[in-house]
Amino acid sequence: MLRRSLGALGAAALLARPALGHAPAVARRSGERVLRVVAPFEFAGPDPARSGHVFARMGVGEMLLGADPEGRPVPMLAASWSGSPDGLLHRFLLRPGVRFHDGSPLTAEAAAASLRHAHAAASPLSRVPVATIEAAGDAVLIRLARPFAPLPAVLANYASMILAPAAYDGAGRVRAVIGTGPFRVERFSPPLQLDVGRFDDWWGPRPAVGRASYLVVSQGEARATMAESGHADLTMGLQPVTLARLRRSPRLEVLTLPVPRTRILKLNAASPLFADQRVRRALSLAIDRHGIATALLRNPAMAAEQLFPPVLQGWHLPGPPPRRDLETARALLAEAGWRPGGGGILVDAGGRRFACRCATYINWPELPPIATALQAQFRELGIDMAVGIGNSSDIPRGHRDGSLEMALMARNYALVPDPLGTLLQDFRPGGGDWGAMGWSDPALEATLRALAAAEGDPIALRRQAARILGEALPVIPIAWSELAVAVNRDLAGVTVDPFETSYRLHDIAWAG
Amino acid sequence: MRVLAPGRWLGLLLILALAGFGILGPWLAATDPARQVLADSLAPPGTGYWLGADHLGRSMLARLAHATRLSLLLAAVTVASAAIPGTLLGILAACRGGWVESGLVLLADAVLALPGLLLVLLLAAFAPGDFLPLYLGLALAGWVEYFRVARAMARGMLARPHVEAARLLGFGPGYVLWRLLLPGLLPTLGVLAAFGLGNAVLAISTLSFIGLGIHPPTAELGSMTTDLLPYAHEAPLMVLMPAALVFVAVLGCHLLAGRGRA
Amino acid sequence: MDRHLLGRFLRPVLMRLVQALLVALIIGALGFALMAALPGDQAFRLAAARYGPDMGDAAAAALVHRELGLDRPLAVQFLDWVGRLLRFDLGHSLVTGAPVLEELAMQLGYTLALAGVALPLSALLGLPFGLLAGLRPGGPVDRVTLGLSVLLRAVPAYALGLLLVAVFSIRFRWLPPAGFEGWREFILPALTLALGLAALSARVARDSVAAVAASPYMAFARWKGLPERAVVLRHGLRNAAIPVVALLGLQLIGLVEGLVIVESLFSWPGIGHALVHAIFARDVPVVQGAALVMGLIFVLVNALVDLACALIDPRRPRAAA
Repeated sequence: MLRRSLGALGAAALLARPALGHAPAVARRSGERVLRVVAPFEFAGPDPARSGHVFARMGVGEMLLGADPEGRPVPMLAASWSGSPDGLLHRFLLRPGVRFHDGSPLTAEAAAASLRHAHAAASPLSRVPVATIEAAGDAVLIRLARPFAPLPAVLANYASMILAPAAYDGAGRVRAVIGTGPFRVERFSPPLQLDVGRFDDWWGPRPAVGRASYLVVSQGEARATMAESGHADLTMGLQPVTLARLRRSPRLEVLTLPVPRTRILKLNAASPLFADQRVRRALSLAIDRHGIATALLRNPAMAAEQLFPPVLQGWHLPGPPPRRDLETARALLAEAGWRPGGGGILVDAGGRRFACRCATYINWPELPPIATALQAQFRELGIDMAVGIGNSSDIPRGHRDGSLEMALMARNYALVPDPLGTLLQDFRPGGGDWGAMGWSDPALEATLRALAAAEGDPIALRRQAARILGEALPVIPIAWSELAVAVNRDLAGVTVDPFETSYRLHDIAWAG
Repeated sequence: MRVLAPGRWLGLLLILALAGFGILGPWLAATDPARQVLADSLAPPGTGYWLGADHLGRSMLARLAHATRLSLLLAAVTVASAAIPGTLLGILAACRGGWVESGLVLLADAVLALPGLLLVLLLAAFAPGDFLPLYLGLALAGWVEYFRVARAMARGMLARPHVEAARLLGFGPGYVLWRLLLPGLLPTLGVLAAFGLGNAVLAISTLSFIGLGIHPPTAELGSMTTDLLPYAHEAPLMVLMPAALVFVAVLGCHLLAGRGRA
Repeated sequence: MDRHLLGRFLRPVLMRLVQALLVALIIGALGFALMAALPGDQAFRLAAARYGPDMGDAAAAALVHRELGLDRPLAVQFLDWVGRLLRFDLGHSLVTGAPVLEELAMQLGYTLALAGVALPLSALLGLPFGLLAGLRPGGPVDRVTLGLSVLLRAVPAYALGLLLVAVFSIRFRWLPPAGFEGWREFILPALTLALGLAALSARVARDSVAAVAASPYMAFARWKGLPERAVVLRHGLRNAAIPVVALLGLQLIGLVEGLVIVESLFSWPGIGHALVHAIFARDVPVVQGAALVMGLIFVLVNALVDLACALIDPRRPRAAA
């Protein structure tokens, strides 16, 4: 009897398979191989502002514009676009004959409504000085309050995704993902899984892959194992430590690509500890970037002596490789009035210890070990840095209430394919949540303003901005990033997008 | 006093060995567990490091020893904080009866009705990176067991003729508690505490494995496993060592508790 | 059903109902109080969980704050929640925007599926050993089982899971280390849970079988000349089952806790995983909903165990014998 009831319990539990997704059921094309994408990024809900990164990458949703490998805007749902000479009125002519996954046609009204939704949400578009977004015939008109050169790049961000009118409920919330991309949602089960199938009415050439799935596996080691054992066809976000091993696997090809994401140390320049530029320079000199890049990131080329990596052409400055120089660092600190005190910790003239707290978070698994390395390296200078590992939101919150002293974070300068879109946020007067704090520089502001208004030579202005940031060090660069992807050799035609906007599944085919 | 069974001796031996490691290890390693030499990242055992170096080039020996000491100490404090009030309240409930007893039993039932882990998780979110909520959560969830056992046993003992006689003769509550009740309760409570010690070591390492309760550069057995996990392929031994210490500690405690508890 | 039976079954059920109500109230109040006092502005946390670190800034937090009415007095927010709870409305997840009930149903499905595999598996692994060991206490089977179960129970669940992954996924590449799609994905997490539980159930089964085997009515049955098989099946199993069933209840509760670890380790989208995530994100409705479900399962399991014990007990007066 006991055994029988246990069996019944097990069977009942198995039958209670979760009812998944809001998407309409699509007949399973059985027998067709599913392309399995495994990635570390969870997603939440159908709103593009929240989960658009996954919809865009899996080819479900599309934006008006895309970006080429250099970050320049290219046509997507907009076939062409033009701006008025004063830079205030922008006209985006829609590609004809595009259909949404529910069969309805893409209209200028639908596109304008989606963009208005994005403008009201927490999205890069909401930070653009938009006056109106309207439909005019086959085109979307965006009128700005003042010139904003990176607008096309902002429209290529996933949060500016164009969805069908039926995707929104009466209150204007997104309730289903009805996009225009080469793949449509078959099963949507946040936060871990998304299944997609080919959309036969897509405007582009018919994709070779019929079905694909996106699975979140948060542990890097588990992702590597899934790639190795063939449980994943396309594995994203590989940890540096697993690369050497995966390269040896005959089943896999490992692609790496530098991406414009920099691990930086944000300093509260309004605090008496970091107000002095000499102290910030001393901290920068005390960092063993080569050691961190080699031991923790397994690639010495990731050591970042400046904020912008070589992949950001125009922003990256030619310069000498980073060197640790404790002697100069000590001298700078002494100049700034810090003397060795009890327990080897520096004290200032008022007897105040050089003790601070550095906040970091676990969304990027390399951050806590890097913070621990920095802790030991600063300790050699006589700086007592505590490390608090918490939620990423501690940083913007600490920025706002002024309680933040230091933060180690990874900042993506390609969230909008033109870094200017991000820099205007991070280094605006008064500082940005993910940029400077308690620091501002009129010369930098003028430079960024000129870039936004598209006045003057952009290359010279970008270099100027990079130079100012490198000298004043409102944020201290630690290490750059690279994107590592493991590709199953059963796949052909895989390319990696440095801006991570798309996995380009529509270009992939099964080999052989 | 009854001679311990061989299994319990073994358990005692294991715990003493671990305690010895926790005390002598730092002295043996003779280095700061936070000291880093990035160039020695994942150095194998023997090359200047008795047990090798971790991903940041820190002495594994020093870190393991500090982590062992931390685990044992924290577990012991947790158990004491659960056992002492739990036992005393149990005896109080048995002696007083009435609304005192009903109230305490209700409280204990309420705590029992909550999954203990939930309590710890909620408290840990309260002060991330701190041991205090971990300790508080475990102690708050743990006292009920001692309370229930102490109350049940004390009730039985209070009904025995010699205790009743002592109370009737006017011996004070102190005498009854120290001379009559506690000696009878101690063996059972000792078993419970030994078992609880093992489970506390297990719970602490498990919670720090999922990222609760740790500030760098503190070494803790569970978080050492998490930190070294990405390097499992290159240095499997390093991942194994902290987990093995947890295993030995828990095994020692369970053996010491003996078969008194299944 | 006679009156005796009614009292026997109805009273405990009523008691458990009261307990369930109590649990709901405590969890609601406690969860709410803790979440309200938690450090870190809730709106910032939610913004980070919704929009990711790169877009989770003060402007996003301000949007969240306005949208959710987080500036209402705490008492109003709590009363609002209680009122909706009474209408079986757990609200919407602050992170995903989906109804909490819907999310919980899905997560509970995954959790129950995993538990539903792990529990029979642990019985399958543990009970036969326990039975055999209990029939010959002190014999070789007993000694080996004892040793194994003591060893197994000292292994932290996370280490056990890692070990299984190392052997079955990495070394032999038989099973996937993560995912939740087909039966193969079930094996490692279920085995991790089951091994720990099996060690416990083997010991309890052994002890109760041994106690029953040594009891006078078993000796009497043997003396009556019944064959050993019949003795064990007809008398031994039934009596030995009572503590085992009680233990299964305990196990289910241990299972709930083990699930948090195993689900985190194997990226299993169950309720434990969801709870941990919701705590980190300050998603109060999900935390309360998940805690409520876990607490109520807790009570339900206890109630079922009471009932099962009452049913199995051979001293039960039989109405239709």
